[in-house]
Amino acid sequence: MAFAIEFFLRRLSQGLLIVLLVAFVIFTLLRVAPGDPIRIILGPMATATAMEETAQKLGLRDPIPVQFGRFVLDVAQGDFGRSFIRGKQGGASGGSQDGAMDMADRAPVMGLIATALPYTLLLAGLGLVFSFLIAVPIGLAAGLNAGRWQQKLGLYVSSLFVSLPNIWVGVVLIYLLSAKSGLLPAIGYRNFAYAIIPAIVVAVEMSPVLIRAIAVSIASNVQEAYFDIGQVRGIGRNRMIYRHVLRNAAVPLLNVFGAQMIGMLLGGLFVVEYIFSFPGIGLLTINAVFQRDFPIIQAVAILASAVLVLINILVDFASTTIDRRLKF
Amino acid sequence: MSDIALTARPKNRGVTARIVAGAWSSTEMKIAVCIFLALALMTLLAPLVIDASATKITVADRFLPPVFMEGGRFPYLLGTDQLGRDLLLRSLIGLRNALAIGVVSVLLIFVIGCAIGIYSGYRGGWVDVVLMRITDVQMSIPVIILAITILGMSRPTAVTVILVLVLAGWPTYARVARSVTLAERQKEYVRAAKILGASDLRIMALHIAPSILPSIAFVAVLDIARMMIFEAIFGFIGIGIQPPTPTFGTIISAGTQYLLNAWWITIVPGCLLALALTSLNLMGGVLERSRNLVLQGKL
Repeated sequence: MAFAIEFFLRRLSQGLLIVLLVAFVIFTLLRVAPGDPIRIILGPMATATAMEETAQKLGLRDPIPVQFGRFVLDVAQGDFGRSFIRGKQGGASGGSQDGAMDMADRAPVMGLIATALPYTLLLAGLGLVFSFLIAVPIGLAAGLNAGRWQQKLGLYVSSLFVSLPNIWVGVVLIYLLSAKSGLLPAIGYRNFAYAIIPAIVVAVEMSPVLIRAIAVSIASNVQEAYFDIGQVRGIGRNRMIYRHVLRNAAVPLLNVFGAQMIGMLLGGLFVVEYIFSFPGIGLLTINAVFQRDFPIIQAVAILASAVLVLINILVDFASTTIDRRLKF
Repeated sequence: MSDIALTARPKNRGVTARIVAGAWSSTEMKIAVCIFLALALMTLLAPLVIDASATKITVADRFLPPVFMEGGRFPYLLGTDQLGRDLLLRSLIGLRNALAIGVVSVLLIFVIGCAIGIYSGYRGGWVDVVLMRITDVQMSIPVIILAITILGMSRPTAVTVILVLVLAGWPTYARVARSVTLAERQKEYVRAAKILGASDLRIMALHIAPSILPSIAFVAVLDIARMMIFEAIFGFIGIGIQPPTPTFGTIISAGTQYLLNAWWITIVPGCLLALALTSLNLMGGVLERSRNLVLQGKL
C-alpha cells in the first residue's frame, strides 16, 4: 500500500508538470502563429478600433506569460474559458460587424467538450472492441505457431493494415457499405449504427500494432523453458497457454497499449471523426483550428495530454502489480 | 540453416551485412523491393512518358473512368478527375511528393533524434534528465493536435509539414538511442578509447554511433511509411501542401464529393498509395525481424 501511494504521488506530480509544459507549448504556438482570431470573430468588415477593443477585452494583447498565468489560474478552478466563436445556443455566431463582441453569450468550453465527449468515447470503445476482435485471434495464432503459415499471416495482415491510410479506408468503406449498398449510415450521428463504419476504420488502424505485440510476446513466452517444463510435468498445453503464457505476455502488451496505442487512438479518432463528420472531440477541435478558436484547442490539448500521461501511469502501475520484479 | 552455409559465412562479416543478407533471403523482401523500385522509377519517368498534364484543366475530359472500364479512353490509363486532369500522373506525382517528404523527414528525425539520444545517454546527469523530460512533454502531445495547431494556423508548405513530422518523431529515436547508449557506454572499447585520450565528441561520433545506429536504422523504414500516411492525412484535412500541387490527401478529399458517380477519383489513387506503403512496410517488417534474429544470435 505504501508503495502504491508513493508511486502515485511521485508519478502524478511529474505528470502534472508535463501537462503544464504541454499546455504552455500549445498556448504559445497558437499565439505566435499567424492568423488573427479577432478577424474571424468579428468578420471581414470590422473596423480597426472594434478589433482592438475586442482583442483588449479577450486579453490577447497582454504578454504571453501573463496570458498563460491567467489561463492556468482559471483552469485550476475548473474554468477553461468560453469559445471565441460558438454561441450558447449552438451554432457559430461569427461576423457580428458592429462593435466589440460580448463574451457572455458564448458557449463555455467545458460544456462543448462535455457534449462531444460521449461520442468520442463511444467511437473509441467500439473501435477498441473491433480491433481486439481482429487482432487477438490473428496475434495468438501467429505467436503460438512461430515459423508456420499462421506467423506469415500475422505479418501479412499487419503489414497490409498498417499500409492503409485511414482517410482512404474511410472513403472506401463509405462507398462500399453506405453509398453503394446502403447497408449502414455513414455521415454524422443519429443513432448507434452511425458509429459502426467509423469504428471499423479505427480498428483497421489499431490492429496491426496489437497483432504484432501479441504475436511477439506470446512467441517469446512459448520459447521459454517453463512452457515445455510445465507440459512435461503434466499440465496440458492449453492450460499452460491460458494460465501462464497469457499472464506473462500481458506485461509487454500493457506497455504497448499505454505507450503506443492510446496515442494512436487519439490521433486516429480525430481524423476519423473529421472524415465522417462524427460530432466528437476531434471534429470540434479541427473546426476550432480553422476558426482560430483558441480556448477550445487549448482545452483539448491539455485534456488529451493529461489522458496520455494518466494512462501511462496506470499502465506502469498495473505492470508492477502483475510482475513484482519491475519495481518503479 | 545448413552446416555448409554456416561454415561458408565469413567470420568477420558485420552485423549490418548479416541483417541485410538475412532479410534478402526471404521472398517477401525481394517482392517488396521490386514493387518499391518499380513505383519509384515510375514516379520519375511518368512526367516524361505520359502525354497529359497533372495540373492543366481540361473540362471536356472530366470524370473519365479508367481505360479498363466502359467509357474510359487513352491516354488516361486510370481516368481523370473532376477537372479533367490525368489521375495516374497526379497519383504518381503525389507519390513522389509523399516519398520525398517521408524520406527527408525520417532522415532528419533519425539524425536529430539519435544525436540527442546518444548525447543524453553519454553525458548522463542533469543533461540527461532535462532532455528526457523534454521527450516526455513532446510525446504527450498527440501528433495530430501538434499538426493542426502549427499547420492549421499558418499557410502550410512542404517545409512546415516536414518540420511538424520531425517535431513529432524525434523523441522516440532519442529514447531508443539513449537506452542503447547507456549500455554501450559501459563497454570495454569505450573505456579504452577514453584512456587513449579520445574526446567525448569523438567517442560519441566515431565509436558509439557506428555501433548502435545500424540496428535503429532498419526500423526507420517503417517510419517512412508512417510519415507518408501523415502527409496524406494532413492533405485530406487541408493542412498539407496546398493545391494545385498533387498530393494524395487533396486528391482523395476532393474526390469524396463525387464518390457515387466517379468512385475512381478517390479509390484508384489510394490503391497506388497503399501499394507503395505495403512494399515499404513489408521491407521494414522483414528487416526488423531479421535484425532481431541477428541480435539474438540466431542468424
